Amino acid sequence: MLDIQNLQVVFGTGRLRVDAVKDVSFHVEPGAAYGLVGESGSGKSTVLRAICGLAPITSGRVVVDGKEVTTPRSKAFYRTVQMVFQDPYASLHPRHTVDRTLSEPLAIHGEKDAEARILQALREVGLGPSFRFRYPHQLSGGQRQRIAIARALILRPKVLLLDEPTSALDASVQAEILNLLDDLRRKLGLTYILVSHDLAVVAHLCERLLVMRHGEAVEETTSKALRSGVASNEYTQSLIQASQGFTRDAKQPTQALAG
Amino acid sequence: MTKPLLDVEDLRVRFHLRTGTVEAVRGVSFQLGRERLGIVGESGSGKSQTGRAILGLTPPPGEVTAKRLAFDGIDLLTASKRTLRTLRGGRISMVMQDPKYSLNPVMTIGEQIIEAYQAHARASWSEARDKALSMLEAVKMRDPSRVFALYPHEVSGGMGQRAMIAMMLVTDPDLLIADEPTSALDVTVSMEVLRILDELVTERGMGLIFISHDLKLVSSFCDRVLVMYAGRVVEELEAKNLREAKHPYTQGLMRCLPTLADDVRPLPTLNRDPAWAL
Amino acid sequence: MAGAPLAEQPAGLRAWLLSAEPHSRWQARLGRFYLGWRAFSRNPLAVVGLGIVILLIVVAVFADFIAPYSPVAGGDLRTQRLLPPSATYWFGTDDQARDIFSRVVYGSRITLFVVVLVALIATPIGLLVGTISGYLGGWVDTVLMRVTDIFLAFPRLILALAFVAALGPGIENAIIAIAITSWPPYARIARAETLMIRNSDFIAAVKLQGASTPRIILGHVVPLCLSSLIVRVTLDMAGIILTAAGLGFLGLGAQPPMPEWGAMVATGRNYLIDQWWVAAMPGLAIFVVSLGFNLLGDGLRDVLDPKAAK
Repeated sequence: MLDIQNLQVVFGTGRLRVDAVKDVSFHVEPGAAYGLVGESGSGKSTVLRAICGLAPITSGRVVVDGKEVTTPRSKAFYRTVQMVFQDPYASLHPRHTVDRTLSEPLAIHGEKDAEARILQALREVGLGPSFRFRYPHQLSGGQRQRIAIARALILRPKVLLLDEPTSALDASVQAEILNLLDDLRRKLGLTYILVSHDLAVVAHLCERLLVMRHGEAVEETTSKALRSGVASNEYTQSLIQASQGFTRDAKQPTQALAG
Repeated sequence: MTKPLLDVEDLRVRFHLRTGTVEAVRGVSFQLGRERLGIVGESGSGKSQTGRAILGLTPPPGEVTAKRLAFDGIDLLTASKRTLRTLRGGRISMVMQDPKYSLNPVMTIGEQIIEAYQAHARASWSEARDKALSMLEAVKMRDPSRVFALYPHEVSGGMGQRAMIAMMLVTDPDLLIADEPTSALDVTVSMEVLRILDELVTERGMGLIFISHDLKLVSSFCDRVLVMYAGRVVEELEAKNLREAKHPYTQGLMRCLPTLADDVRPLPTLNRDPAWAL
Repeated sequence: MAGAPLAEQPAGLRAWLLSAEPHSRWQARLGRFYLGWRAFSRNPLAVVGLGIVILLIVVAVFADFIAPYSPVAGGDLRTQRLLPPSATYWFGTDDQARDIFSRVVYGSRITLFVVVLVALIATPIGLLVGTISGYLGGWVDTVLMRVTDIFLAFPRLILALAFVAALGPGIENAIIAIAITSWPPYARIARAETLMIRNSDFIAAVKLQGASTPRIILGHVVPLCLSSLIVRVTLDMAGIILTAAGLGFLGLGAQPPMPEWGAMVATGRNYLIDQWWVAAMPGLAIFVVSLGFNLLGDGLRDVLDPKAAK
């Protein structure tokens, strides 16, 4: 479904040159969920943005659904790949009602039957028709993220790019959104690429994952291995340990003082 | 614990808005000795407002009332502005969430620590400088004299937060309030920051109020945990007994987190009982 | 539709407007408008400003019914010249024996005409130049902003004078002159707003739906710039009225015998000491209307642009 080969993303030139992603490759099967894990500055979000065209592809190949992507992306690409952003407070237009937000993609692609599709999209994300004419400020964080998911799904894409979809939400709301994403994947046969700093979230949603650091791929592993605590890489090991909570007697992680 | 360091009884924070009065904190009571107390809750639970009210940092339309709000025997509600000023930053300090917004961007880190020190202790510049450098060393900066001369934007988030802690602890406070001190940081970095904080608090025998949304983190870091919901403390328990939490909200908060240890799906969600908020 | 029964809204219009679950696009929009109005009406000075502006519009529309005399044709030059304010001539008469009250009433039409046309010309130009340059960036931004800088470098009244000198005096040319000198600040504001909006997630989201650039600018960026621009335009109205009056005063705006307020002040200048009302009455009208727009603008800013209010 998605094939990334030797992806490299560079911002700026000369002294301002930043190598955000250095030679990252991975492959995702249709219907699978793939996680990208790392800390800030690891380039995980940049990979996602390079796939959908919000960041440049400096070199390497991005193949989606058997076709190499073009710059700028075609309209057909946007019908195949959609994205859900991290902050549900920033990803909805503050002056547009839910109705307008959801009808925009339909209008852009000349889809008919907007009325029925909007109501269906709302139903899919577990919101009733009473939400249709609300403004974002009338919604809670979790409800906003549901609307953002509905917007991403309304064009019936095959691939959903999820950029930290739950990290701005409270723990109990995170559980609801994770359950929703799990359900939707099964029901609609979606392929997910999930970016997160939270190992537990990635392990919950994805089967396979790539650990990234400083723009490089550190290790590709499976959630199963993660759960059993097996990690060949020291960095992955320290991430696993940090996700267990604070421990007083732990040995010092070797790298945390960098910077 | 003979005499509590901080004694809070029936603390209320109200905001009088045009649309009516909102009560953010509704009758919170607790006592704190020289221990690590965690306050946990989701957004809007009033946990941050509780911390701010203790320091007298409630933003303008807010009104703070309490039956008792005493720090080391000093009534914080009736104390003069001068007394409050010397307490604040002197004997009570606060570490905020994001070092980017709490450090002054046009002063070097060293200058800020010196300023914080000289505001509360009569000390010459060179004394203050030595103190600042030793403080930077205490928060495990690799090269204290280099960091001393850096501006906040020149350091990483983890270093900024450590500098912030150095600044807050330079006056040897008796009570430190840390409001989500690590949620803007990466996990591995935040563990490092917490370890430093833990060491300093234990060494100096301070009281610590650790405010966070992260139940797992708080319970692994603190001695005692207050769980807040809708402006009230719904449960108070020893951190090590967290698994025996009785309140359905606490139980729900613990269960709804995905863990590496086991694979539950769907994740149990929280059914908010309106009765909890009563 | 949502299929909600009417039984849900027994509490009247107010509850319907404030409903957290609007049942139609219109209800949502009206509800929003109502909230804005509630915030606006809490500011008494803003309501006074709105009242003055509405009064200006009413007077302009119904000038034929309000004015007791013709604004152009004078009375008997021997007996009715330069009469002080009285029950017959409320604001007195001028040197041509014309009723000043009637002239001020008809003059409101010219003022309104200037204000509306300048707003209609300058706002869209400023908005488009600003949003396009802010959104596209790069060389487009450089070119458009340098052009804006050039216009901004001219003092408004001097450029208007040069323009009127080239095209000939007259109210239309005065309006064009004012309009082309007043759009650059709007472009600047719109550009600054756009630079903030351009990198937000909701713009990225609509880009990812395949929206074209014009669609993003017009449908998503412009509505967000509009509110701060409306505030600025309203606040500028006082200045525009004064410029129009200034051009009239210099004889480069509306031509006699049109009852333009600035030109009326100019004629009254000759009689300032003995017949003060000839200049004072139109001057007062200019003052009141300018004040009205300023108060309205301040009130609108509190509602539309809360972050600029403090």
